[in-house]
Amino acid sequence: MASVVQVRAVTVAFGGLRALRGIDLDIAQGERVAVIGPNGAGKTTLFNVIAGDIAPTSGAVVIRGQDCTYRPSRHRPRLGLARTYQKARAFAGLTVRENIYLALAGHRGRHRALWQSPTDHRMRDEAAEVASRVWLASQLDEVAGELAHGQRRQLELAMAIATRPDVMLLDEPASGLSRGERERLVELLESFDDQLTLLVIEHDMDVAFRIAQRVVVMADGEQVMAGSPEQVRSDPHVHQIYLGTEAAV
Amino acid sequence: MNLRDRLTGARLAFAGLVLIMVLLPSLATAFFVNFVMTQTLILGLAAATIVFLAKYGGMTSLAQLLMFGIAGFMFGNAALAGGARGLNLGWHPWAAVGFALLVTTVAAFVLGAIASRTTGIYFLMLTLVYGVIGYFVFAQIVEISGPGGITSIQRPDLLGPPIRLYYAGLLLSVLAYLGFRAVRRTAFGLALQGVRDDPVRMASLGFNVALHRTLAFTMAGFVAGLAGLLNVWWNGQIDPASISIGPTLILLIIAVIGGISSLEGAWLGAFVYVLVFTYLRDLPLVDRIGITEARFNTVIGVIVLAIMVLSPEGLTGIGQRLRRRLRRRVAAEAAPTAGDSLPVHTTQKELGGTRP
Ligand SMILES: Nc1ncnc2c1ncn2[C@@H]1O[C@H](COP(=O)(O)OP(=O)(O)O)[C@@H](O)[C@H]1O
Ligand SMILES: [Mg+2]
Repeated sequence: MASVVQVRAVTVAFGGLRALRGIDLDIAQGERVAVIGPNGAGKTTLFNVIAGDIAPTSGAVVIRGQDCTYRPSRHRPRLGLARTYQKARAFAGLTVRENIYLALAGHRGRHRALWQSPTDHRMRDEAAEVASRVWLASQLDEVAGELAHGQRRQLELAMAIATRPDVMLLDEPASGLSRGERERLVELLESFDDQLTLLVIEHDMDVAFRIAQRVVVMADGEQVMAGSPEQVRSDPHVHQIYLGTEAAV
Repeated sequence: MNLRDRLTGARLAFAGLVLIMVLLPSLATAFFVNFVMTQTLILGLAAATIVFLAKYGGMTSLAQLLMFGIAGFMFGNAALAGGARGLNLGWHPWAAVGFALLVTTVAAFVLGAIASRTTGIYFLMLTLVYGVIGYFVFAQIVEISGPGGITSIQRPDLLGPPIRLYYAGLLLSVLAYLGFRAVRRTAFGLALQGVRDDPVRMASLGFNVALHRTLAFTMAGFVAGLAGLLNVWWNGQIDPASISIGPTLILLIIAVIGGISSLEGAWLGAFVYVLVFTYLRDLPLVDRIGITEARFNTVIGVIVLAIMVLSPEGLTGIGQRLRRRLRRRVAAEAAPTAGDSLPVHTTQKELGGTRP
């Protein structure tokens, strides 16, 4: 199967701190991968490198056969890649509709049409449709900064799915959600098209193991192991470094 | 939207103000109109470009007076004929206008592109450097600034009488004000505000952050150039000292007096500044307490300090605070139990109503 995302021997150093120490990852089209590991393991840093928000210190990132190691993040949407952030980063001063609109406009390069109104019908309809997929249909005209925490996470997700990406990176989408909201989230993730490649960082084992075909365990900037959810669940080493410390969660 | 929705209080106030400004020449003295108000409109227009960049782009620019100066110098060089100072190109005045605006806009584009990768204090410092370099360019290359400035600059015949210059200032101010506000709602304006709030996020959504900053800076430069043209027509001359570091800071202070994130505040700030410089000397006893013309900037400084202490959002911020307090008092009298929550609801409704 063709790789959609390849990470080759990537290291990232922040001054003296080595956040990633030689990570290799090969993700096939349509694959569902969960990345787990304790805080500070380097999971978000790995996403930042794949998404182009930071360039690696060494190593390479290849997306759909194109070397993207030093290509800035703004070229990623055109390659079909979208991401969410661990800390919801929607634009607080804009409405839900305007936020989704920005995601749509950035992806299509429509923002270059300087004077086009962001409220043209097609965009309005599309934004409404995307919002309804994440249960935000009735919040379209609310200001993002005034949304509840769970809704803000939903908006974050809406901005990623708005562009109909082929590869989606979700950084802890379930954090801070209620049990009911988590259930809905899993349903939504399971409803995605088979061809969509999904990479999810998740602390909630239940969520991670339900949606993933493969689980990658990281600690201290390295991959500790990778395998099916069952393999990872029963691995004593993983228990010790991860489940052992986080089992209480 | 029906007519009633369109006639909000703010719009009525704006229309009323424009009407008064249009009728002003028959209400006030020629001195007030042609000196105080024309100058207010010119400085307000230039300061509004600082506010536009700060409010929508998150960029505090100290290069706006340079743009203003470039337009003025370029007009002088192009329009004056042989024998005068400067390049003496002797072009038709409107060709000179086009030339001045073109050079200013191109300069703004290039300088904006260089500055587009910086934000915050670095952007401020870089634009300060632009201002300083720009001053030295005009001060030291006397071929384009005429030794000691370019003098005897005539305005185009169309704007001959001073009253027409006032109306030109009014027209451009109204257009710039409405234009800057309209930009907020366009695709570009929305993206610009996104860039202001979270450039990293905008890039990951596929936006070219540097390009948006550059284009905003270019637009602001063009408008500052328009103000610069009005300024040389009003002054009849321009010299390098007028774009040195002092005046550069004064333009920023004008924006701060009105409120750095309030477009209308730019003109309000300019009005206060011009009033102080024009009328302070006429107040009784000012010279007895040592306030002579050379010390007017000190007075301005004290005024700015007082305003900043009262509200970092300048005079507009003070006005908003007073209005909010008044509304709260009215609300409290009407419904003593729900006193505090009422104004919140009103604001939400206003936001909902004015959004497209
Ligand atoms: N921009 C940064 N500058 C300096 N250190 C960073 C930066 N981003 C992350 N780190 C550090 O890198 C390590 C890995 O962080 P991160 O990738 O966020 O971990 P995780 O997402 O697995 O919790 C942490 O020690 C963190 O403090
Ligand atoms: Mg993280």
